[in-house]
Amino acid sequence: MNMTTPIEKREFKIVGKSVRRDDVLEKVTGEAEYTGDVKLSGMLHGKIKRAAIAHARIKSIDVSKALAYPGVKAVLTHENVPRVLHYGSPHPRSASCTKDQFILDDRVRFWGEGVAAVAAISEEIADEALDLIEVEYEPLPAVFEPEDAAQPGAPLIHEVGPGGNLVLDPVRINRGDVEAGFAQADFVLEGTFSGGRPHPAYMEPNVCIADWDGSNKLTFWTSTQTSFMVRGILAEVLGLPLTKVRVLVDHMGGGFGAKQDLFQHEFLCALLAKETRRPVKMEFTRHETFVAGRSRHPCKIWLKQGFKNDGTLVARDMKLVYDSGAYGSHGPGVTIVGTTAATSLYRCENVRLEGRCVYTNTPINGAFRGYGVVQSYYALDIQMDEAAERLGMDPAELKLKNVVRAGDIAPSGHPILGHGLEICLQHGIDVLDWKKLRNRDRTPDPRHPHMRTGWGIGCEMHGSSAYPGIKEQGNATVKVNEDGTVTLLTGAAGLGTGAHTALAQIVGEELGVRFEDVGTIHGDTDVVPWDIGAFASHTTYLVGTAAKMAAGKVRAAVLDRAAMKLQVSAAEIDLSEGKVFVIGDPGRCMTVAEAMGPSRGIPAANIVANGTYEPTKSYSFAAHFAEVHVDTETGIVEVKRVIPVHDVGRVIHPIAAQGQIEGGIQQGIGHTLTEDYIIDKKTGRSLNAGLVDYKMPLSMDMPDIETIILEAAPDPGGPWGAKGVGEDPIIAIGPAIANAIHDAIGVRFHHYPITPEDILKALREKGA
Amino acid sequence: MRRFEYHRADTLEQASRLLTDLGDDTFLFNGGTDLLVEIRERLRRVRHVVDIKQIPGLSDITYDETRGLTFGALVTVGRLENLALVRQRYPNLRAAFASLGSIQVRNRATVVGNVCRASPSADTIPPLIADGAFIHIYSRTNMRVVPLAEFFTGPGKTVLAKGEIVTGITVPPAGDNAGKAYLKHGRRKAMELSTVGVAVSLTMEDGLCNDIRIALGAVGATVLRAPEAEAMLRGTALDAVTVKNAADKAMEECTPISNVRASADYRRDMVGVLTGRAIKQALEAFA
Repeated sequence: MNMTTPIEKREFKIVGKSVRRDDVLEKVTGEAEYTGDVKLSGMLHGKIKRAAIAHARIKSIDVSKALAYPGVKAVLTHENVPRVLHYGSPHPRSASCTKDQFILDDRVRFWGEGVAAVAAISEEIADEALDLIEVEYEPLPAVFEPEDAAQPGAPLIHEVGPGGNLVLDPVRINRGDVEAGFAQADFVLEGTFSGGRPHPAYMEPNVCIADWDGSNKLTFWTSTQTSFMVRGILAEVLGLPLTKVRVLVDHMGGGFGAKQDLFQHEFLCALLAKETRRPVKMEFTRHETFVAGRSRHPCKIWLKQGFKNDGTLVARDMKLVYDSGAYGSHGPGVTIVGTTAATSLYRCENVRLEGRCVYTNTPINGAFRGYGVVQSYYALDIQMDEAAERLGMDPAELKLKNVVRAGDIAPSGHPILGHGLEICLQHGIDVLDWKKLRNRDRTPDPRHPHMRTGWGIGCEMHGSSAYPGIKEQGNATVKVNEDGTVTLLTGAAGLGTGAHTALAQIVGEELGVRFEDVGTIHGDTDVVPWDIGAFASHTTYLVGTAAKMAAGKVRAAVLDRAAMKLQVSAAEIDLSEGKVFVIGDPGRCMTVAEAMGPSRGIPAANIVANGTYEPTKSYSFAAHFAEVHVDTETGIVEVKRVIPVHDVGRVIHPIAAQGQIEGGIQQGIGHTLTEDYIIDKKTGRSLNAGLVDYKMPLSMDMPDIETIILEAAPDPGGPWGAKGVGEDPIIAIGPAIANAIHDAIGVRFHHYPITPEDILKALREKGA
Repeated sequence: MRRFEYHRADTLEQASRLLTDLGDDTFLFNGGTDLLVEIRERLRRVRHVVDIKQIPGLSDITYDETRGLTFGALVTVGRLENLALVRQRYPNLRAAFASLGSIQVRNRATVVGNVCRASPSADTIPPLIADGAFIHIYSRTNMRVVPLAEFFTGPGKTVLAKGEIVTGITVPPAGDNAGKAYLKHGRRKAMELSTVGVAVSLTMEDGLCNDIRIALGAVGATVLRAPEAEAMLRGTALDAVTVKNAADKAMEECTPISNVRASADYRRDMVGVLTGRAIKQALEAFA
């Protein structure tokens, strides 16, 4: 990894160093406790009966045989659960969602939706009892494609919302004068683009455990990115005060955005436990993570742009349609973020955008790393490559000419201070000697006469925090213990990204203690400060700043206390690596433990401080350079080499940041070449809901990745200029691959995944 | 996972009797890598499993120059994959074994189990058929030996009668004039089911193809031979034009279906490409 540091030169003790992650030992030894590892005495197992029909009204549901089955303790249907309309995506301060879900309804809106739930003394018995539940359906006409769902007269999937199967009113953005822009254009490019339905396929399937105590308090373990939202909506729907719902989550096996909904099984688990007065566990099978989990919104995009002959972009007209599946979930957020993102990336003064999100009778699509932007930037970046081709220009040159720069208004509508895209792009061009690569000898290797090689570039930018869609807030509490150690309390979830390590680094750095002396408490809503959840690439940026603020406050208090003990004024002393010393006279010193601890006549100190941070947003940037090999006989595309050049502001933990980038590239390669969760367009049935036929790239499919992180454009809103990195890498890799395929075989693809069959078909059409 | 009864057999006779007595939903439990997944995913209704892993005499591997390679029903894919003999003499089997599942799966799964599952896309079957392997079958009244090419009757179906148990497989010896290859085509490089698999085993004499067998996986109800393509190649020098024509013929001889892995047309195309490439690779033994 190559690092350059044009930002504030500063000697850091902990930040910027790849310290050993605080969770690594317990994870590699298998001792880390995940939600599924929790075992409670008398615990029952819950299972959900899922509909084998895409759209229907439940005429009758007979659970008598299931209830009579030995070992079954309770069965729930729409007839005996509270009928409360609620949000799928429970972001409390987002006005963009429609309440469209019941815990159980007398209506089925997609194949795989839960219609009943069973609790039994074993998972096997619960599973067997599902077959004994008899449901009689009245089939309703179903729609599986947004085009069909949006037709006048199409069967309506919901009675709520704006109507016409729209999840929200169309998102319209107008800047400048698009018609005048097109009038100036020397040429216009127009194309349609589409994206499949990739699924996050996190390692840890969704799982929760509910336990009610004698005071009617619910303790709820669940694998979630948003424990406080789970608490809030469970309390709301179950009619409880927040003091009666405690949500716990320790380690997680990933989420990638998709674990920030409130899921049907979570309500059902709580209700089954209430009904039986016993703890109940519910754990998805891998199949259920597909049908009842969340995937990326399939998207259809129409994009028309006008260019001048010098490469200037003068008009952009774009329509996006996202497929929400059967419920709204994150459809509104994805539509808003994905549509507004298209105001930027490549500068254009005249922009007209329209984003729609449509219900269909298919499994629910939700939040997923890259949140709507994967789709829109795929189209923007590929069409930019097409414009370069039309102009006879190097795409790198055209992109460099048009990328956003300082002073531009970000998609969020606010000016941002650091613009790193130009630097990322230029850096990659220089490192790779791009011009030489473009002009390389393209004669096929005689040992592999059917192989063609290609290079492509993809650009992206992505915000840390969901502002302005959600006005966010980061919180942290820092306590100094009497032995000089420090405890950070945070509500930020640990998806497996190493976020807690980064937060502890920030606290240690700001406070002036060793990293090893900072402990982190997280994942208990009764204990830690309120948190909005881990999403939108914001944990290090948002919670990191709050932690830095809290650490700064306790540092001042520790200095005051030490000053008293050293009998100097606080201005005369400093604190570093757990030691307080007199400036200019470092021999006069004491440890933080000595400052904190009791001494004759003085009890130990109790120093606690909170930090609360309400940010706007920062943007991170990346340019990905990818090399592909295309086998023109089999159509197989292999990604051989990727040089991702990222600007993420100040890097807190280089290896963790690099890991995020490599992981995002792996997922992005899958989305672009092999991954697509396929729904049968005649029945709505899932055709590959499982890892046998949903294929993610594995280690052997991975290219060489030479990650370059530039600390080029720090954002003052993050700790020492740090910005997010989680989502960025998945956005740029897709267009980089599609553009590289074009470079290799001269064929443009406007969709993903690009399969071997697509390649062969296109080559034949080209040859014909 | 659905509940099932577990039985352990200590002898073939006992296992065979259990298979006969316990009824239709009874299955042999060997490596379990497929069976357990099928139970879990509710793909197969199983009431009883009969564990044969403790039966003595089914774990041997032997080789001699006249009889060839014989391995028992309990021999894991991983053991064979890492055998020097297999690497040196049977590069086709080595390629197939090394492409099955993951390392962890191969350390439990058995070749006989993969064969008896009778999946048209099983990786181990095409090279064994191309090599002319035989399968040894036990029953309580007699033993029989069946050419592997005649073992399969449909997807998941074999000639095994109730109570019959496969004890091992024999692969004829690999002579110095033999060339062998297995090419697997999938959506990724590991932990993958074949979209198409093509095996070629051939012998050369004085620069001419003495014999050749082509076996095609995942393009029919069972693994298929391509007899007409083979006939076009026998007695020729396997020059590029002849190979191309034979590969085209193999495309006509296969009967693929469309599913989420690939369309029938694409599978047919890959039979053509991979047949040509497999012959080329098999000939590399003589280079």
